[in-house]
Amino acid sequence: MAKNVPCSVCGAAATVHLTQIVQGKMTKVHLCEACAAKGGAGDPAVFQLAGALGSASEVSATALACPSCGMTEGDFLKRGRLGCPDCWTGLAPILGPLVGKVQQGSEHLGRAPAGARSPEQMRRRLEAARREMEAAVETEDYEAAARLRDLIRELESQLA
Amino acid sequence: MSVHEILSSESELTHMIGAQQPIVLSTRIRLARNLRGHPFPGWAKAPQRAEVASLCLSALGRLPKFRRAHELRMEALPELERAALVERHLVSKELSGGKGGAALISRDQTVSVMVNEEDHLRVQVVKGGWHLRAAWHQAEQLDDALGTALPLAFSEQLGFLTACPTNVGTGLRASAMVHLPGLCLAGHMDKVARALGQDGLAVRGWLGEGSDAAGNIFQVSNQQTLGMPEDAILRHLSGWVRHVVEQEENARRKLLETEGERFVDRIARAFGLLRHARLLTSAESMASLSLLRLGCDMGILPEERRATVDRLMIEGQPAHVQLRAGTELDSDARDARRAAVTREALGSFPEPTAP
Repeated sequence: MAKNVPCSVCGAAATVHLTQIVQGKMTKVHLCEACAAKGGAGDPAVFQLAGALGSASEVSATALACPSCGMTEGDFLKRGRLGCPDCWTGLAPILGPLVGKVQQGSEHLGRAPAGARSPEQMRRRLEAARREMEAAVETEDYEAAARLRDLIRELESQLA
Repeated sequence: MSVHEILSSESELTHMIGAQQPIVLSTRIRLARNLRGHPFPGWAKAPQRAEVASLCLSALGRLPKFRRAHELRMEALPELERAALVERHLVSKELSGGKGGAALISRDQTVSVMVNEEDHLRVQVVKGGWHLRAAWHQAEQLDDALGTALPLAFSEQLGFLTACPTNVGTGLRASAMVHLPGLCLAGHMDKVARALGQDGLAVRGWLGEGSDAAGNIFQVSNQQTLGMPEDAILRHLSGWVRHVVEQEENARRKLLETEGERFVDRIARAFGLLRHARLLTSAESMASLSLLRLGCDMGILPEERRATVDRLMIEGQPAHVQLRAGTELDSDARDARRAAVTREALGSFPEPTAP
């Protein structure tokens, strides 16, 4: 492997090169000795994130910054962690494709805090809960099915 | 003082003799939550972290679950005590070594919240054995209370907003700690880990990220947090854990069938080593205790002894050994203490015999 590959986590010269194939998608991760020793090589999440970050840095050309906390695109690519909740808006152009790589979907279908339960969010959740209940019944997980039935009733009455 | 109290008091994981299960040691639910309008801990300045800590701790302290809870400020604790909390899985390595970290741990140690870890709040529920739904139910209640007490960062589209894109959405990490000596002895563990990995689950050693699988103990958890409702995440994990438990049972049965006396011999040798060694390294102790636990599961040792084995696994870890000794010890001295504690605990064990 060539010597000049940068570490996917910190950007130093990488000496450890890993390849992982998940659901037919190949991800290559390059780590420097320090990051590999930190446990990076053994942690599957590193594959997910470092792989996605690596390709994100290649694609993006414009420099973005979060208006709330000042984190720039470069800061994020170096650290792999966002600066504040508003970065999700401020750095959205690079986060969108990245989330697509590390996550199953791009839409939240789960719980919401009490104040944030809009009709649209509840409708999405209701649909997801209905699908889940069918799956739970199919796998004979009746405990889960009963819980979901209650959730569906609750969401239906709130939407009515 | 509080840490000693936590470590010496009876907890879900160290003292639940009847409720223990052969293969699944514990179930864990973790929720990542953040406060709107505050920078994440890793990017925040010290005063901002302090502000978040006081906001969170005062809101959490008012919840009934945390009445009389242990409140710990990481920077106020000696290194050894922090390390012991990590060994107990009560706080993460990241929190213990980070800046401005705090933890609130319920009296019974089943519920804890880390403040200023990677996210502002990391809620954790732990149950001994395999109790995913019960753990989730408790986490949900706590999450509701949290959402009412604090302004959480949430977006319609992306769900709960987190510092790392791998946690966004539900912020849910559900996991099972499983003891898989059968699959390891049979040489099938790599295959199992690969299958889990290909279906969106992570397999790690027992101290989490980057740790090795000491004592044949693995942590299996979901990787994806967005695009599925919590119930789907739990069902996915649950299905796989059930499958892994079945595979482990099969592997054990087969080993006993094909190896017969040789299988009992493995366990008897591990017992002999633990019963008589004068110097016991952490790795050696974990490997042999794993076989003893297997012996308890398979009727080669009495099942009620499993709790002692589990306790030794926890208390044989380096920081625990040193805290118990009341002083920092070099590695030889640690090995001697560990051996002494183990010899004493196993003194009343009967000889391993074929089931």
